[in-house]
This record gives sequence, C-alpha cells and structure tokens, in this order.
Amino acid sequence: MKDFDALKSIWHDQVSVPKISHGDILKRVRKTKNGFANKLLLELAGMSLSIALIIFGWAYSPFKMWTTHAAMLIVIICFMYYMYTQVRDYRRIKDESLLMKKPEDYIAYLKKYKHDRYILNTRKYRIYTLFLSIGLILYFIEIAIMASLWITLSGLIFTTAWIAFCYFYVMKRYIQKEESKLEDMISNLERLQKQFGNQDTE
Amino acid sequence: MVDKEANFKDIFQKNSRKIYHLCYGYTGDEDSANDLMQETFMKVWQNLDKFRNQALISTWIYRIAVNTCLSYLRVEKRHPKDELTTSIIENKPEELSDKNDQVASLYKCISQLEENERILITMVLDEVPYPEIAQISGISDGNLRVKIHRIKQKLTELYNRNERF
Repeated sequence: MKDFDALKSIWHDQVSVPKISHGDILKRVRKTKNGFANKLLLELAGMSLSIALIIFGWAYSPFKMWTTHAAMLIVIICFMYYMYTQVRDYRRIKDESLLMKKPEDYIAYLKKYKHDRYILNTRKYRIYTLFLSIGLILYFIEIAIMASLWITLSGLIFTTAWIAFCYFYVMKRYIQKEESKLEDMISNLERLQKQFGNQDTE
Repeated sequence: MVDKEANFKDIFQKNSRKIYHLCYGYTGDEDSANDLMQETFMKVWQNLDKFRNQALISTWIYRIAVNTCLSYLRVEKRHPKDELTTSIIENKPEELSDKNDQVASLYKCISQLEENERILITMVLDEVPYPEIAQISGISDGNLRVKIHRIKQKLTELYNRNERF
C-alpha cells in the first residue's frame, strides 16, 4: 500500500523528457508561419479574380434583360459573402488572447465557435447554394433567347446536374457527418465545462 | 530578435519538462504529448511580446498548455492507451527497472482520471503551488483544495489496486 507521498516520490524519480528542443519549435514556427494565412489569401485572391471577371463580363457584354443583371449581382454578393465569412472566421481563430482565458471560458468560446461554424457549413451554405442557383437560372433566361437551343440546353443540363450533385449528394453527406461530429464535440465540451465549473464541487 | 530567442530558450528550459508531464498525463500518449507541448510553446513564442509580467510566466504558460490540451482533444479525440509505452523513460527496455514500471503504472492510473483531474494532479505532483493552480484552472481556492483532496485519494486507490494485480 502506497500513500500519495509515495506516488509523488515515484513521479519525481521519472526521467522522462520531451523529444523536442526549443530549436525544433523555432524551426517549426518559421516553417508554418502564416501557412493558414497564405492559404486564405490564395482563396481570397481566387474569389476576387472571379468577381473581377464577372464584373468585366457584365460591363462588356451586351446584356439586355434585367434578369441577367440581377443574376450578376446575386452571384457577386454570394462570392463577397463567402469572402467575408472566411476572413471573419480567420480573425476569430487568430485571436490568441482567448488562449489566456480561464479554461471554463475557453471551453465556452470553443462551443460557440464550433456551433457557429456548423451553422455556416450547413444552413448558411444551403442559402448560399440556393442564391447561386437562382443567379444561374436568371442568367440562363437571356442565354436561352440569345444562343442556340443546343448551347442553352447543354449549359442548363450541366449546371443543374452539378448543383443537384453538390446539394443532394455532397452536402447531404457532409451535413450528416458534421452533425454527428458536432454532437460529439458539444457533449465533450459540456462535460469539460462542468468539470472546470466551480459550482459542481460536492 | 536574438534577445527574444535567448529569452525563449531560457523559458523553454525552465518549463518544458513540467508542460510535457502535463501533456503526457492528459493524453497518456507520448506522441500526442510531444505534439501538444510543441503547439503550446509555438503559441508561447508567438505571444511572448504580449506577456507583460501580469502573472508568473509559468502560470501564463500553464494556462496556454491547459487550453491547448482542451482544444486538442476536441479536434481529435484520442483515448489514453491502456498500456503506456515504456519509451517515456529514457532507458532501453532491457534496462527497465521497478522504478520505471512504477512511473509507467502511475501514468496509466492518471490516464484513468477525468480530464480536469489529470490536469490538476499533474500540477500537484510537479509541486505547483495551490494559488497558482487555482489561477491556471480558474477554480476558486476553496473548491480546488476539496477537488485535489478527492483526486489524491482516487489516484492512490487506483494505483494500489493496479499494483495488486
């Protein structure tokens, strides 16, 4: 039978050492510095280029119908909304002052962040897809009048099939996966929050 | 920059072992412990300029380590291994002594505690003063003493039960 002091002496006898040196950490810092920011920057550059191309096409194409103008506007707003959410989330993750918070508060922040991300990836993404589809449908109205039937039909079929595939197959599976992940995550976080809470000490 | 690096080196040398113990006690897994310790000190380096002696630097580092541990398991739930690897000890397997077995057994018992218990007990074992533990964990002093008393009993029981089999 050992008492706690005996366990403490066992603990102090251990010679376990981390396999990482301060030099390794600095190397890793330099390597990964702004890695995520660069990825985001690339994504934003791609989106900006798409918006610029749409505006260019919009300005220099002789579109006559209001539906096409509405389509262009909807698609641009969708892209800009996407960019806004990415930047907002990046700034939230980068807010490292949160790391210095009490564990209980930090867990509460994690819970809120995970929940918001889930809403963005599911419900808001659905609305995003819906508006993008409306934009494309409006765009095809003028195309149907101006272009040949064959071009219009193939464009419509391809676009509809692509949206349907993304929405009914990819999104459905993704949402299912996200839901179960979130439930698991939230219940774990709640358990941890309770553990760190002051009120639960009997 | 040179000053910052020298300061970081000093901080790392003074605190890395304890932070590693905390991460190891929390995950029960050597690789995860190294990952977590690395992540913690990367955050320490990135925020070193923001640290203005508002608390002991060790308290500040522990707080980052605890929160890093908590968020790490949320990303990838890793269950503590039933049998801890003996590589936590520097010695080669053939040189394993009773003492080393006892350390491995102690880690195994810690891994059976709840998450916050693992964090608190590793700090107690590393002799972090109670007021500092209270500050790190955000648990009031009175509650902390009760909690630690219970965890000590629980760990001792687990260890003795484990030793009998």
